[in-house]
Amino acid sequence: MSLTETTPLVTADEITGIAQDVWGSFLAMDLEPAEPHDEPFAGESVTGCVHLAGAWGGSVIVEAPTTHATAAAEAMFAAEAGSLSWDEVSDALGELTNMVGGNIKGLLPAPSTLSIPSVAGGESYTLRVPGAVLASRVLLTGPAGPVRISLWRS
Amino acid sequence: MKILIVDDSKAMRMIVTRTLRQAGFADHDYLEAADGAEGLAVVQTERPDLVLSDWNMPDVNGIEFLQKLRASGNEVRFGFVTSESTDAMRALAAESGALFLIAKPFTSDTFAEALSGVLAA
Repeated sequence: MSLTETTPLVTADEITGIAQDVWGSFLAMDLEPAEPHDEPFAGESVTGCVHLAGAWGGSVIVEAPTTHATAAAEAMFAAEAGSLSWDEVSDALGELTNMVGGNIKGLLPAPSTLSIPSVAGGESYTLRVPGAVLASRVLLTGPAGPVRISLWRS
Repeated sequence: MKILIVDDSKAMRMIVTRTLRQAGFADHDYLEAADGAEGLAVVQTERPDLVLSDWNMPDVNGIEFLQKLRASGNEVRFGFVTSESTDAMRALAAESGALFLIAKPFTSDTFAEALSGVLAA
């Protein structure tokens, strides 16, 4: 069970704005806020993660069904449906995570460093940052389905 | 003119190239490298006129890449395209010899504005 911060330094609205900007600019996908939850997505999913260390330490985790991650990658690579490899899908979700994380970093106390993104994919897996406290979480929905973004403070 | 795009994400290298073409810079030769170490090698062999580099990369990151170039006496025109854009990073980039820092996400207008003077020179 995780505790949730009551006064996060980065609000859900700010994370929503960053995600809408990234998805809108690079994928031409409009995202709308939905009620956040921590239930796993049905079927296969892809999860990207970047860590912040320094004046503020924590992690940014971006989760989406594989169908969403694949559609995002196809938009980024300007590729035909079904033509991309897992490496290309994970590259794309990693870069989306990096952009969200980099923009969130700009709202947090400095100086800090941002890690290179890690990406996991599959079915029925969990990703945990041991000891971390959930600072903010948003669930957004768009034409390719949902995406969940969580900010954890270590 | 040769433009070298350095980013560890293949997807982002494609987006940067596509956006540059949309911004009106289609008549240039585009080169790619996946990190600063590879970027240093490409700069030596290909002698690009402009380098557009990510900041957060494995091995040799963007600021180390720029500093190594300048330490070797290479004065190639250099700009950052990065998801991080704090005041401290902008100051360090300028101090180290970068002409500009473009924050991700960007649009073709962002590139047109940042590069029009640089590529016209």
